[in-house]
Amino acid sequence: MARAMPASVVLSDRRARLVATPLRHIDVVLIGATLAIAALGLVMVHSATQARTRLEGVGPLFYVGRQAAWVLLGLIVMVAVMAIDYRKLRDLAPIGYVAMLFLLGAVLIPGVGTSTKGSQARFQLGALQLQPSEFTKFFLILMLAAYCAAHREQFGLRRVVTAVVIAGLPLGLVLLQPDLGTALVLGAISFAILTVAGTKGRYLAILALLVVTVAIGAVRLGVLAQYQVDRLTVFIDQDDSGETLDREDSGYNLDQSKTAIANGGLTGTGLRQGTQTNLGFVPEQHTDFIFTAVGEELGFAGAATLLVLFGLIVWRTWRTACLTNDAFATLACMGVIGLFAFQVFENVGMTMGIMPITGIPLPFMSYGGSATILAFACVGLVANIHMRRFS
Amino acid sequence: MTATSRVRVSIIGVVVLALFGALFTRLWYLQGAGGTSLAAAATENRVRIVTEPAPRGRILDANGRVLADSRVSNAVTVDRALEGNEREEVIVRLALVLGMSIDEINERLDDPRVSPYSAVPVAVDVAPETLVYIGEHNADFPGVTVDRRSVRAYPNGTTAAHVLGYTGEISEEEIDSQRSGDYSLGDQIGKAGVEQSYERDLRGTPGEERLEIDAQGDVVRSLGTTEPEPGSDVQLTIDLDVQTVAEVALAEAMAKARGIQNDAMEANFATYRAPAGSVVVLDARTGSVVAMVSNPAYDPNQFVDGIPTAVFEEYENPASYFPLLNRTIQGQYAPGSTFKLVTSLAALTTGQINTGTVVNDKGCIDLEVEGGKFCNAGGAVYGTIALSEALTVSSDVFFYELGRSYWRVFKAGDPNGYAIQDEARALGFGSPTGIPLTGESPGRVPDEAFKIDFNADNPDPKAKAENSIWLPGDNIQLAVGQGDLLVTPLQLASAYATLGNGGTVFTPRLASQVLAADGSVEREISPIAKDTVVLPPGSREAILDGLRGVVRSSAGTAGGVFAGFDFDAVDVAGKTGTAVVDDEPDGKQDTSVFVAITPPDPAPGQAQYVIVALVEEGGFGADTAAPIVRRVIEGLYGLTPTEILIARGSVED
Repeated sequence: MARAMPASVVLSDRRARLVATPLRHIDVVLIGATLAIAALGLVMVHSATQARTRLEGVGPLFYVGRQAAWVLLGLIVMVAVMAIDYRKLRDLAPIGYVAMLFLLGAVLIPGVGTSTKGSQARFQLGALQLQPSEFTKFFLILMLAAYCAAHREQFGLRRVVTAVVIAGLPLGLVLLQPDLGTALVLGAISFAILTVAGTKGRYLAILALLVVTVAIGAVRLGVLAQYQVDRLTVFIDQDDSGETLDREDSGYNLDQSKTAIANGGLTGTGLRQGTQTNLGFVPEQHTDFIFTAVGEELGFAGAATLLVLFGLIVWRTWRTACLTNDAFATLACMGVIGLFAFQVFENVGMTMGIMPITGIPLPFMSYGGSATILAFACVGLVANIHMRRFS
Repeated sequence: MTATSRVRVSIIGVVVLALFGALFTRLWYLQGAGGTSLAAAATENRVRIVTEPAPRGRILDANGRVLADSRVSNAVTVDRALEGNEREEVIVRLALVLGMSIDEINERLDDPRVSPYSAVPVAVDVAPETLVYIGEHNADFPGVTVDRRSVRAYPNGTTAAHVLGYTGEISEEEIDSQRSGDYSLGDQIGKAGVEQSYERDLRGTPGEERLEIDAQGDVVRSLGTTEPEPGSDVQLTIDLDVQTVAEVALAEAMAKARGIQNDAMEANFATYRAPAGSVVVLDARTGSVVAMVSNPAYDPNQFVDGIPTAVFEEYENPASYFPLLNRTIQGQYAPGSTFKLVTSLAALTTGQINTGTVVNDKGCIDLEVEGGKFCNAGGAVYGTIALSEALTVSSDVFFYELGRSYWRVFKAGDPNGYAIQDEARALGFGSPTGIPLTGESPGRVPDEAFKIDFNADNPDPKAKAENSIWLPGDNIQLAVGQGDLLVTPLQLASAYATLGNGGTVFTPRLASQVLAADGSVEREISPIAKDTVVLPPGSREAILDGLRGVVRSSAGTAGGVFAGFDFDAVDVAGKTGTAVVDDEPDGKQDTSVFVAITPPDPAPGQAQYVIVALVEEGGFGADTAAPIVRRVIEGLYGLTPTEILIARGSVED
């Protein structure tokens, strides 16, 4: 009797080859841009921590060493995310999502979570600090994309409300820390996914209105500390003389940040030659204000190149969203675009005075473990989708 | 994917593109286009400049001897970075060791005039043993260092104090008024005398260290140092030897006069008060000041670290007769008979008299109005005399007549009516001589305009009208150097120098050259001949003959003082002057003035000196001033000094 052919054999040779070797379809441009940014990030963290390490009496490689470890860990996480078929990740999304909600709740309990700089956002694990809110971004992308993709055929009001609740729960918990920046990122992710998921235009409008109301409420009801409000609003009063704002208040950050970038000019002062950078005039320069170090020491040429590299990541993600035929994959890519595009725009924008100052890291560049690992995980997700788009 | 989804994916793409576009635009605006002001702010942010004063140039006498130097002094300085308990402990220990109060040290440490990046000097001129103690216990004195700094020193103390002046910390007003503008609070600046006039030469260029600082204000590194350029030395025309002789002679004469009874005030058994005096020695052929003495004097060294309040108050106390005053240029006196030089020249120039014109001196002239009788001093009657003799014996009547006749000319509306005033102004009276010293007084040459101006505010219209008229008595008084006439000793010396040199009026010169730190000549300061006075033929000789008689002739008013003087070795012409300051018996005593020209007719290349001595409340010119001048002349020519003997009311004027 003729043995039945295994199903795979009926597939065309070309298709078979595609299915069998997803590794052949790795997005080299995406990964390359990511690695390039991460490498530049290490260089800039090193440069921006010259004054800090001297002041703190630690070795000059203290911060850059730790950041290198985070990048390494991030690469492992990225490879791990790429290794598991994204559909499996999609199916695991609810578990991850609920686990994150649990952690976000736990971190708010004094004693369990640690409070730094006015927000209850971290778990102290020995010498390391873990920020659950960063990883929430990843699991929210998976969860929201999965939900919206599953119900895309009948995405009515009920589904929209459910989707908003899915996004709203972690967002609310993050606001309680309070961490406005992360909450905004979660909002941007959700908005991108909901938009592409097919939410009716009027619902999106209502949603946008709701976000504005909540934001104003948060400011008015004192959920935010005064310094956070100041930082948010100071960019409205700036001027470009670099002198008008009182250096004691939040304007100092902005003045010094803009001054540093302007000092770079077209070609920059050269690495470790930036006076603003080296002498520690810009606060938080190795974390949220890392872009000022790039701006001062590498100038317009370097800063523009960095923006182009981020543009490449976003473009490749957008392209992946278009290439795939899987609705979940498209939505997940939109979530990642929402995350990267908003974080880059907000972070770089605040250093240049066109966005309010909020604590949002620049992906792959800012010193910090959780954010770096999360960013790599997101790139891993997109690469995952890209290389399995034919299967 | 649905069609809607495709459109929305595109929308997201466009939105993201727009966001990146905004970032690029802003980046270009900051870095490419509008970033210059911000970039400048970055430089301002990080660079601090600490200045280092340049060693001040020295002041030298005509022979290169040091009159003002920069001495090296030990100073204990404390680092400003010291904070909290450590600072308190160090201050307590320093207070104990230096013998200062804690408050005092704190005050100096917080002195805003010291740059926050340089250590603060809390004590200067610290005893060596204290320095050793601090050095051996440096663990107890963190942040404390011993600095050697340059401090002004005047090795001769009060000698030539009024010429040298002093330095002090610049005041805020001075900073505002300095056109060069490169002074900052805490800098030293010349406050008086040559220190002030030649500030630009003496100061040099301060050094600069540019420090890069970080956001904490800590110094990161030095961006470069400009070494200070030492100030230049200023060589004066003052001769330290002559200056010293003149100072000693003046002081000795004043001291002796205070022990002599004033015959003019016999009734009160009063002695001369002689509280103050001055001596000027001029080189008549260049206008150079060879000696300039004002007594009482001060010690400029007292100003070096800031003058103690008590000392300054003492200086400002009227009972101290204002030692800060340079009487040679700031003291204004009626010159008495020494002014007869001017009246003589005026009369010879206008042809009012010639050298042979005689006047019958009957002892007095009488205007036949109340208070209109003017007589010779001591009731002397000289009979028929010509100009030379009138000068020798100091006949007042001779000059009264000239004053009266000029008044008549004045009344007739002839421009020669002010001949005496015109001659006086031509010789430099009535305006500052222009010597490079600040605060010079102009003196006063009175005329009707002066009287009108002086009485402008008189509330009584009748008195105002009467007092605003130039009266014969005014011109008669003026002719003999009395009345409203005021001159400074330097003006008087300058006028006699013009006679001596044949008619040139010099702007008195104090410094001859400015020398760079390596000793090379940076700048020559030439004599400035600012005006010429035409001396009618024979007038100089006739006047000098009369003035020779003053010292040589037994009838001369200073013949007694110059008795025994070797005129074969040194020729001298002189004039006494006695200015009545106050007619009241208990008022101020007469001002004693003497002026000499030596030699009156110098050989080519030989120096000609004019010496003026003036003692306030010193009696007749021959009494106190003439002996001083004799001693100075002996000093100038290396003759054996004679003892200063103060006469009791010699007959003169």
